[in-house]
Amino acid sequence: MDRETVEKVARSAHLKLTEEELETFSRDLSDILGYFALLDEAPDCENFGIDPIDVADVLRDDEPHMEIDPDKLLEGMDTYNNYVRGPRLL
Amino acid sequence: MIETSILSSLSKINEKYQMFRTITSDTEAGDAEFLFSAKDNLTSKDMETCSGSKILEGYRPPFDATSIARMRGAGGLLVGKTNMDEFGFGTFSTNSAFGVPRNPYDPERSCGGSSGGAACAAAVMDGHVAIGVSTGGSICCPASFCGVYGIVPTYGRVSRYGLLDYGNSLDKIGIISAKASDLGKYVNIMAGADPRDPTSCMQPDMGARRKLKSVAVPKDATEGVSEDVRMAFTDGLETLESLGVDVDTVEMPSLKYAIPAYYVIATSEASTNLARYCGMRYGHQKGDLSLKFDDYFTSFRSQYFGQEAKRRILLGTFTRMVGFRDRYYSKARMVRQSIIGEYRSVLRECDAVLTPTMPFVSPKFSDISKMTPLESYKADILTGPPNIAGMPHASVPCGYDRNGMPIGMQLVADQWDEGVLFSAAEEWEKTFESVRPEVSI
Repeated sequence: MDRETVEKVARSAHLKLTEEELETFSRDLSDILGYFALLDEAPDCENFGIDPIDVADVLRDDEPHMEIDPDKLLEGMDTYNNYVRGPRLL
Repeated sequence: MIETSILSSLSKINEKYQMFRTITSDTEAGDAEFLFSAKDNLTSKDMETCSGSKILEGYRPPFDATSIARMRGAGGLLVGKTNMDEFGFGTFSTNSAFGVPRNPYDPERSCGGSSGGAACAAAVMDGHVAIGVSTGGSICCPASFCGVYGIVPTYGRVSRYGLLDYGNSLDKIGIISAKASDLGKYVNIMAGADPRDPTSCMQPDMGARRKLKSVAVPKDATEGVSEDVRMAFTDGLETLESLGVDVDTVEMPSLKYAIPAYYVIATSEASTNLARYCGMRYGHQKGDLSLKFDDYFTSFRSQYFGQEAKRRILLGTFTRMVGFRDRYYSKARMVRQSIIGEYRSVLRECDAVLTPTMPFVSPKFSDISKMTPLESYKADILTGPPNIAGMPHASVPCGYDRNGMPIGMQLVADQWDEGVLFSAAEEWEKTFESVRPEVSI
């Protein structure tokens, strides 16, 4: 994977890489993707899913309930007047 | 009544082995019936949970993971959170932001990863039960390197509620202990449907225990493994035969695709799971709020994620990108289905598939530092297949190399058939003479 591609992927993943990291990851990922080419020769198959077991939807009764006290959740967060602080949008 | 003196020595033990990220302040066990630890990627009300990552430093969850809650409910006292590779990304526990656990047989060597701290605690502390988590080999690898027993139940057997996800379709919670009988005892405590994790709700009851009568060894099982591992594995096979277990050799051609398929699925899932860590809500949060939101998130992630986390995020982001998704992600899921089919076909004829657990004994840190990332990924060649297939599997100690380093072998059973693994490990323990590490504090 060339440096430009690594940079593009990193931007998409919200990572800013140093020059040294760009160099290292370009080399490492080329090596790893070269090995992944082994997948090209694996036979195709049908009926493949997301999970390795059968999974069904589990629904609960549509009744309001409180699992965790919101105040407890906010204790670990950087807040202002019970709002979670974040960076500016514009 | 349990032995409580261990509680007052935890700090000293940890100073020597660095197996814990956090230790309880309790010095009395009270009414507790047993002591246990949990890997640091399981949430716990009374202890920080960091998953080995700097980005989560200071995170105090307000709830217990289901696995921890059930162990506490059964009389367990949580004594600490064990050290691990950041978010489970590693084979040697050298990728933690909080120190590296030391192998109890040789402190210059790795405990294995990513549940290295858990295996170390199980090996060093008498009667200790450690909860580990496996995505691609993170229970059996460290169990093998530390000379203890480890079990990974079927995917979905133990609720993942409260587990900080690495790969949702791969993560499994299990047990590591120096005593084989602990595997069944504590998996039974943690198992069972939990509506908070729908993947746990389709499980059948834990099957009856049954004696191991036959094993299948894949033809290529010992290809590329070290001579010491090959010899110990051969001895293990002979012992099993002397116990009346039939041993057969089988072809399993799909297994050679397991590692690339595993790493594609795992990093694809990890790269989306780690998107939530961005300097808001968890761990480090004090940043420059005048930055635009993209720059704010990027600055936190770039500063606090370790090198292996960044590498896997990049890899997983790339393999999901338009134009590459079919070649990598979709193909990897096809390979997973083929591997499941191949295991099922073999396991219709026998009770378990048997291989060595790791291709070599625990390496020295000086050798690990010379390995490329790809070489390190390939070390999962034997633990990757059952993990990608969601099959229950166990590692049992089966020998020692010329330097006294432990070697393990791995039994894989069909989905939901943990009972045969519990029995096999207990029977094996009666025959195999373990050499415990010398522990001086």
